[in-house]
Amino acid sequence: METPVVALNGVNKIFNHGSPNQTVALKDIDLVVEPGAFISIIGPSGCGKSTLLRLVGDLIQPTTGEVQVKGKPARQARLNQDYGIVFQAPVLFEWRSILKNIQLPLELRGSSREERDRRARDLLGLVELTGFEKHYPWQLSGGMQQRASIARALAIRPELLLMDEPFGALDEMTRERMNMELHNIWRQTETTVLFVTHSIAEAVFLSTKIVVMSARPGEIMQIVDVDIPIPRGEKTRQETAYFEVEREVRGWLRRAEGYRA
Amino acid sequence: MNPVNPPAAAEGRAETVRQWRPSLVNLRPLLRRALFVVLLLVTLALIWEGLKWVGGNPWRPETNPLGIAHDPPLRLKVASDLNLPHLWDIAAAFGNPARRNGPPLGQILFDASLFTFREAVVGFFLGGLLGFFLGVLFAHVGLLEQGCMPYVVASQTIPILAIAPMVIIWLKAGWISVAVIAAYLTFFPVTINTLRGLRSPDPMAVELMHSYAASRWDTLWKLRVPAALPYIFTALKLSATASVVGAIIGELPSGIRDGLGGAILNFNSYYISGPSRLWAAVIASAFVGIGFYLLVTLVEVLVLRSRPLANGQGG
Repeated sequence: METPVVALNGVNKIFNHGSPNQTVALKDIDLVVEPGAFISIIGPSGCGKSTLLRLVGDLIQPTTGEVQVKGKPARQARLNQDYGIVFQAPVLFEWRSILKNIQLPLELRGSSREERDRRARDLLGLVELTGFEKHYPWQLSGGMQQRASIARALAIRPELLLMDEPFGALDEMTRERMNMELHNIWRQTETTVLFVTHSIAEAVFLSTKIVVMSARPGEIMQIVDVDIPIPRGEKTRQETAYFEVEREVRGWLRRAEGYRA
Repeated sequence: MNPVNPPAAAEGRAETVRQWRPSLVNLRPLLRRALFVVLLLVTLALIWEGLKWVGGNPWRPETNPLGIAHDPPLRLKVASDLNLPHLWDIAAAFGNPARRNGPPLGQILFDASLFTFREAVVGFFLGGLLGFFLGVLFAHVGLLEQGCMPYVVASQTIPILAIAPMVIIWLKAGWISVAVIAAYLTFFPVTINTLRGLRSPDPMAVELMHSYAASRWDTLWKLRVPAALPYIFTALKLSATASVVGAIIGELPSGIRDGLGGAILNFNSYYISGPSRLWAAVIASAFVGIGFYLLVTLVEVLVLRSRPLANGQGG
């Protein structure tokens, strides 16, 4: 068996551990993410799905249990720049042009100027922003900014892409278009994606597996397999298989809302 | 009659039009602002002379450019020729020699302005660098901030007039000592705003740098400092004028007579015999301060030109 890209083993996360107002955010999380998978994490708000993502990215550390990325401790994976991350906001630097923003991770890694230029231009093509190299972030629409931030996350050719509700701030139409684009990017780059969302439609359309989490303390309730043929497209959202998965996820989410440990 | 342009000339013109690039600063609001400043000055001048018309000393036709004889109905102390000289007397003072057979006052004040400006600029850079360095240090070492900040604040409550003679005696370095005094007034706003600016980035941006395993050094130069620049420039604009004030005050106890501080001290003692000379020196000081401020503002506009609202920050 291949080394899983992400492996969480008995992970608990307690905020303010030991103080009277301690909060159990995640409880007994075991999760294995195979290479090339597109895993969505969905659950009621405040269930700790973003916390889970941040644990994988070593932006916070688990209270107990271990988090491994590509068979290494999460910290080592972060230091090796093994993943790219996309937040809910684009977080582009306003003093850098779009091209320079995308080159940021390459700069930090010490790539040559030619390498940076070539890679960034390729990525602009991938996210369909060619022609906007010299624009500044504030001159672009929200959707375009988020596309630029996806390109930045892909700059170092990560095997793992962490996405924390990346399209949460976009309108429905833009969001559907971005889903389509992300699906194509995922197929082209063969990156493993860990995707946090609160939209069932988005999760079903994009994922190979959907992790449904319960309300706080966040536990994994169910992992739903998404057996919808790939590539997916405009018609996917009208297929019976799509509706079946959607109904199943919705059912689990209902139970998750009511579920209290 | 105007000759008709030959086609070649017309083409040449088209070429220049095509080569014309939009300037960095939008000209129209700038012109509007300049017009506003001029209007404001004219209004102030009218109020000034209006006050003298109502309550000043009698206007003699041979001394005012309008040739008017006028006896103001009131005698107000503030509007007397000693307290509030006529604007044309102040203007004329620039052209008259300050002492018998000497160069005109304008020449003296121009040289003095340059001398003081040099002190102010050196002080500005010393203070700006020190302020930036302290800001960076405090932003990274919380313990240092907690420990040192009270002293930094306290340093600003000590009157510059008390510090200046000490610095002069300690350093014995002529105009450089004066620059150090100017720096003393300059560094504080830069420290405070650098600190604030370095902490201004979105926590997500800091996490982004963290996710790329960026060093503190990289995070400082690629995220924190660029994000702090608008804050730092706000402080530098304050510091530009403060450094001129610091330089002028620093000259007073130092015995340096080549700058505006010396000129002000000098004309202060002869105020009774020629009030307009002191007023002229004050105007020269104001020009140095305003000029320095505008210079820093220009640099700010150039540096921040790619940012949103960059044009709105000009003031």
